[in-house]
Amino acid sequence: MLQQRSGTTMQILRYAIIVVILTASLFPIAWMITTSFKPADDIMVSPPRFVFKPTLDNYIYALQKANFARFIENTLYVALVSTVIVIVLSSLASYSFARYNPGGGNILFFILTTKMFPAIAVVLPYFIIFQTIGDTAVGKALGIGLDRRGALVVSYTMFNLPFAIWLMVSFFQDIPRELEDSARLDGYNRLQVLWRVVLPLAAPGIAVTAIFCLIFSWNEFLFAYILTRDVARTITVGVESFFTLRGILWGPVSAAATISVAPMLVFVLILQRYMVRGLTFGAVRG
Amino acid sequence: MESATSKSVQAPRPATEARRTMSDTWYSILLIAPAMVIILFFALVPLFYALDISFRFADLTGGGIRGFVGLNNYREVLHEAHFWQAVRTTVVFTSVAVLLEMSLGIFIAFLIHGASRGKGLIRSLVILPLATAPAVTGLFWRYLYDTQFGLYNYFLSVLGIPWQPNWLGDIKLGLWSVIIFDVWLWMPFVALIVLAGLQSLPREPFEAAELDGASTFRVLRTLTFPMLMPVLTLVFILRAIDCLRLYDSVATLTRGGPGSVTETMTYYLWRQGLVFFRMDYASTMALLFLYAVILASGYALRPLLARLAMRAGQR
Repeated sequence: MLQQRSGTTMQILRYAIIVVILTASLFPIAWMITTSFKPADDIMVSPPRFVFKPTLDNYIYALQKANFARFIENTLYVALVSTVIVIVLSSLASYSFARYNPGGGNILFFILTTKMFPAIAVVLPYFIIFQTIGDTAVGKALGIGLDRRGALVVSYTMFNLPFAIWLMVSFFQDIPRELEDSARLDGYNRLQVLWRVVLPLAAPGIAVTAIFCLIFSWNEFLFAYILTRDVARTITVGVESFFTLRGILWGPVSAAATISVAPMLVFVLILQRYMVRGLTFGAVRG
Repeated sequence: MESATSKSVQAPRPATEARRTMSDTWYSILLIAPAMVIILFFALVPLFYALDISFRFADLTGGGIRGFVGLNNYREVLHEAHFWQAVRTTVVFTSVAVLLEMSLGIFIAFLIHGASRGKGLIRSLVILPLATAPAVTGLFWRYLYDTQFGLYNYFLSVLGIPWQPNWLGDIKLGLWSVIIFDVWLWMPFVALIVLAGLQSLPREPFEAAELDGASTFRVLRTLTFPMLMPVLTLVFILRAIDCLRLYDSVATLTRGGPGSVTETMTYYLWRQGLVFFRMDYASTMALLFLYAVILASGYALRPLLARLAMRAGQR
């Protein structure tokens, strides 16, 4: 194709443009991480300082004074619990869709349309519903209500389920049906086939889906912003707590933002091979 | 259950019929049931709830949820200038951002695809912005855009450009600043998927074209782009839907300002519902918005999704 015609000059030009784009693309993140290690005096200066003495003050401030540790704990709890629920439910459902195709594609399509809902259209009713449930005995017992982690678990389960089902259907379809058939002939019953043959083979796909769900829950903002106030606040919303009367504390903001972004950067690098498939709901295999 | 299964004559695959204890149909329904109950409950209940409220008077600051008012809320909302302003902002934002993201992303995908080495490394670096939460990076971009301490204006002055824009404070620039941020965040998404599309194209047609001495432009126009079309359409739709629903970055980057020039549908909705507590207006708008998105995306998506869903049936 194109590259076969291009000579050395073209290749050099190509790499030059790529370097420019990569720089533009990565420096905001790099600057954020850099700022998080800057002493307060080096942050609000003009022109910006590129050389400074690194310090952990911003992290200490964020974790201790701003209660950020609790935000992290909340985010972890909500992301993990909702992901576990989503994975259990969606692996069963996806297997069924991939093998037996109940509803002839219509149910799958319906599931996807729920993903198209603007989250904001759903979150206002959720607000009222959780407000109502929160005052009942059941809501109190389960911790589901406004500013309770249960409310976020429920919400994230809801919005990750359609995604997880679609993505996992594509993984289950990759498993040859013959393996199942021969296991049945060997005397396994249906549940044994699912548990001992299919799920182990689908494990990589399940792991990929789980990581995607973790990323989405970890980065979620709207539900967390509207459904929590203080007790159940998560990282993405908590970053805003560094707005003070004297202005925004950019040092601690950067530290908090770095804490929020760092694990996801690692996850995305792990997911590399599957990013395309995940981001297209399994439509493009990548 | 046992007796019902012996009668399951319509089971699709007779080969393994020997030990059936339950028909395929029941088994498959049983497997999807738990997930479906949750999806149906949490998708439909809020929907009907919003529908109900959209026909009532609901001012949570005074009086709460009260009696039916017919189509009154719809009338009010559709006559509200702010509503149409928000619709316009959303449409402008979506068109410009998606256009830029698509063209830049496709350009980058071609660049990387043609690179002779280091493809893997370049790809892993390009996708990093995708890992970040828009709400968090959006907040940090306020610092980058800062007129006094921001890096962007510093770069401009270093490059000798006298222009020192007030990115987030200038009414003419506000929406552009959000667009630039969104392009930064999502252009890698387009690049990544188009790159995957490029890499999965079959080689033979291109080799044949090469032998025929077809020009690069001709190859692009008659081979590459037509073959990439399904992938491009999918990326386009996914991006458009996401842009129409834009909330996170507006909420942290501009908060709808300056004035209300970056107030998108979702942000306006949030203000109506949870700042002014006019749940009736908010629900009405949410539903109007929902209908619009479902109509638009359903129409555009249907053929594509039908094909995807068919895939399941073909196995």
